[in-house]
Amino acid sequence: MMPKTNTLLQQVLDPANRSNPYPLYAELRRTPVSLQEDGTYVVSTYRETAQLLQDPRISSDRRNRADAPPQLTPADRPFARNPSFIGLDPPAHDRGRHAVMKQFGPPHAPGRVESMRASIDEITTQLIDAQVGQDRLDIVDSFAFRLPVAVICDLLGVPLADADRLHAWSNAVVSRLDPASGDGPTEAQVQDVKQAEAEFFDYMGALLADRHKHPGGDLLSGLVNEQRPADRLSDAEAITTAVVLMIAGHETTVNLITNGVLTFLRHPEVLDRLRREPDLLISTVEELLRYEPPVQLRARTTLTDIEVAGVHIPRGADLVMLLAAANRDEARFPNAEQFMPDRADNEHLGFLTGIHYCFGAPLARIEAQIALREFVRRFEAPRLVVDPPPYRPSAMLRGPSELMIDVARVRAFREEPRGLAA
Amino acid sequence: MKHLSVVVDLSRCQVYGQCVFAAPAAFSLRSDDSMEFDPAPDEAIREHILRAAKACPVQAISVGWTDDAIGRSATDGRSSA
Repeated sequence: MMPKTNTLLQQVLDPANRSNPYPLYAELRRTPVSLQEDGTYVVSTYRETAQLLQDPRISSDRRNRADAPPQLTPADRPFARNPSFIGLDPPAHDRGRHAVMKQFGPPHAPGRVESMRASIDEITTQLIDAQVGQDRLDIVDSFAFRLPVAVICDLLGVPLADADRLHAWSNAVVSRLDPASGDGPTEAQVQDVKQAEAEFFDYMGALLADRHKHPGGDLLSGLVNEQRPADRLSDAEAITTAVVLMIAGHETTVNLITNGVLTFLRHPEVLDRLRREPDLLISTVEELLRYEPPVQLRARTTLTDIEVAGVHIPRGADLVMLLAAANRDEARFPNAEQFMPDRADNEHLGFLTGIHYCFGAPLARIEAQIALREFVRRFEAPRLVVDPPPYRPSAMLRGPSELMIDVARVRAFREEPRGLAA
Repeated sequence: MKHLSVVVDLSRCQVYGQCVFAAPAAFSLRSDDSMEFDPAPDEAIREHILRAAKACPVQAISVGWTDDAIGRSATDGRSSA
């Protein structure tokens, strides 16, 4: 039994298992905290995952790892020099997160995200309008990717014309986020990532300098023109934060929307029910966050020796928190392997829990609710062309790279759905 | 006449603020990080309230309906939203 357990994380990271890692997760859950051959501790059950995500002895700062790989630390890596709050612990985390939240949500900007609903509606409508007349299309390229990119550019005040460049940089940075597996990256790959990072940071630096001089109504303008000293970020902190927000906007919501369409097409009874009960989409999106979370895992380390589920974990250890496995833990969610759009008790970890709870969650929810509502409403008799679809390489930010569907018809925006009782 | 009734289990609430994003008219954060809510919000924002309840990471919000005949403070029989 032990030797088999040792290879499970590698199997999870193996792209060959990307389309369905859930049987591997089920096997991992048999041991709540399992030590892998390479020294990584994988946490896969709900109770232990939720507990550790709320434990102050667990760190998000990779510099606390005993075996922090050298490519993480040199001074020529802007991410290593100035981690954003996503890679920091309190009190630095709290300061950084608070400074950005002041521009994004309560208590200082409580209506900001809700006020974006109208423009999210409008972008979604335009993207689907462009598909009217098609009978085969790629969900990722036609709207699941374009919507979040347009929304994050709008929020941050980044010109949409630069989206292609930003996407390439974002992809390069994300490509090195998975826990190390196999031989690791080649020197050439490391150089590519370094160059993309440098260009990304230069771009954001120039943009922030411009917003400082010519502020607009966007989030970054607010960030770099903060007047209260305690809430002000340094230039370097502001740049890292802008880069991370941009990446998060590019690489996560796309998966939530695409996984939603994929899940609906695999469960036609759910799609039928959503056509009759559009209000059900609110809880359906929560169930998607449980059942197919866009962020499947997160890395952590220990600030001290700890004991979890009878396992001793030494200080500085590598931890992999398998959120997607915890989300299907039968001990927490009855019928955990079933997709239930009206699941009542759904305290999922799709946005994590604790102090690193997804910063963009409120925005992601609105985007997914609107995009999926319009998919249900406007796509007539949609069918998957390929199942499973091809996936992007990342095990952490898991989602299809392409989702081809056949559709009898894409309805015009104002058209009443046919075949429904009034 | 039935009215919306909102109950927040404050022993569960961890002030994630997700309800404020979803329904800023009914939930608010004070600068000391405590949370306030309207226990009888306007029916017009029913959808916002339901979104707030579903968005709560610790599922601390219950939404139900109370009857004028019973009084707004009555929350018995509320259904979990």
